[in-house]
Amino acid sequence: MDATTVIAVISCAIVLCGWLVLPHSATTTIKPVVVSEERKPVSVSA
Amino acid sequence: MKIDSGDTAWVLASAALVMLMTPALGFFYGGLVRRKNVLSTIMHSFFILCLISVQWVLWGYSLAFGPDKFHLIGGLEWIGLNNVGFTPNADYAPTIPHQAYMVFQMMFAVITPALISGAFAERQRFKAFVLFSLLWATFVYDPIAHWVWGAGGWLHNLGALDFAGGTVVHISSGVSALVAALVLGRRLGFGKEKVEPHDATMTILGACLLWFGWFGFNAGSAVAAGSLATSAFVVTNTATAMAALTWMTVSWWHKRQPSVLGAAAGAVAGLVAITPASGYVNVMGAIVIGFGAGVVCYAAIQLRERIHVDDALDVWAVHGIGGTWGALATGLFATVAINSSAANGLFYGNPKQVLIQLAAIGAAWGWAAVGTFVILKIVNLFVPLRVQEEEELLGLDISQHGEPAYAL
Repeated sequence: MDATTVIAVISCAIVLCGWLVLPHSATTTIKPVVVSEERKPVSVSA
Repeated sequence: MKIDSGDTAWVLASAALVMLMTPALGFFYGGLVRRKNVLSTIMHSFFILCLISVQWVLWGYSLAFGPDKFHLIGGLEWIGLNNVGFTPNADYAPTIPHQAYMVFQMMFAVITPALISGAFAERQRFKAFVLFSLLWATFVYDPIAHWVWGAGGWLHNLGALDFAGGTVVHISSGVSALVAALVLGRRLGFGKEKVEPHDATMTILGACLLWFGWFGFNAGSAVAAGSLATSAFVVTNTATAMAALTWMTVSWWHKRQPSVLGAAAGAVAGLVAITPASGYVNVMGAIVIGFGAGVVCYAAIQLRERIHVDDALDVWAVHGIGGTWGALATGLFATVAINSSAANGLFYGNPKQVLIQLAAIGAAWGWAAVGTFVILKIVNLFVPLRVQEEEELLGLDISQHGEPAYAL
């Protein structure tokens, strides 16, 4: 195994191991979704 | 010399792929700016596609690839494509019509000034942009292209390796972007109000199209349909994927969330970094280059933010630093097992190649920085570089082009 391959394997290992220790979900407060006003029914003439 | 139909088909198809990258860049950048500036940002890329297409056939190709003058610039013998016909040129591509090579190179000349436009987005006057782009393509891009790729160019003679434009395209545009951002100054409200991308989906779409087009950029640079093009294709995809994974992981660690835009930016950083190396390194080298691109380009953005430089769309961090890393990494990981007509890098027993790469990097940084500064100052004598304050507040779509992007 040459030096380039060794560095490549270490690079992949760093990224893969990183995923194991990173947070599972967002730590910041999630803004509430703004709900738009319900539309009024439109009257349809016959 | 006999024309090879397979090689010709591949190079023409690659030229079309690279052409697609410029409007793709427009979408990548367009999604990152505010809604009031999206059309003007896309227009920068579209306009340059038209402008440089004409400049290149008139004098650009001759200056970049024409008969060598003092190892610094091409002559004017090929102006207006005079003597550039369908007979192959042995110096550049011996199996395809000379005009096929010319049009392939045209698309590189097109996208390079378009890359810079991300630095002065949301504040540059369109007329100043027009003049700057024409002068920059002529006095910065064309000479650097000749140094590195032109027959007789001094960096070419020195043995600098740049398979598809890490130095010629990305260092030159990235460094110029930094200078342009410094000369133009910050946008109104920079650092006080948050500037959110108006359409992240547009940016992701642009990044995907860039990735697609980049196969023509790198694999097409083999100028033949064979094993070298195949290798360049494979390492391009590998480095890009690795850079996107790395950037996402770093941003996840730093900002506590895996950024979608970060993954797209990481992919572009990987594409940039593998560009100079794509015809010289194997897949393991590509993984290291991609990993390095994800780390150093992300770090460059943090540095740029810390020193409050308003390079609006991080052209310097992604292209300038990504291109520099790629050019240096070529000197580390190049191997003649991939390209027997090139040279080994440091890890394959040739430390001298690193020094040659550093010389090319330094020359490109220096010429691009000085040239861009001088051109901007000259343009500013005739046309103010920036729009007025009220025009900037109104947005460039209306103030420069009189058209809104969206009728909502």
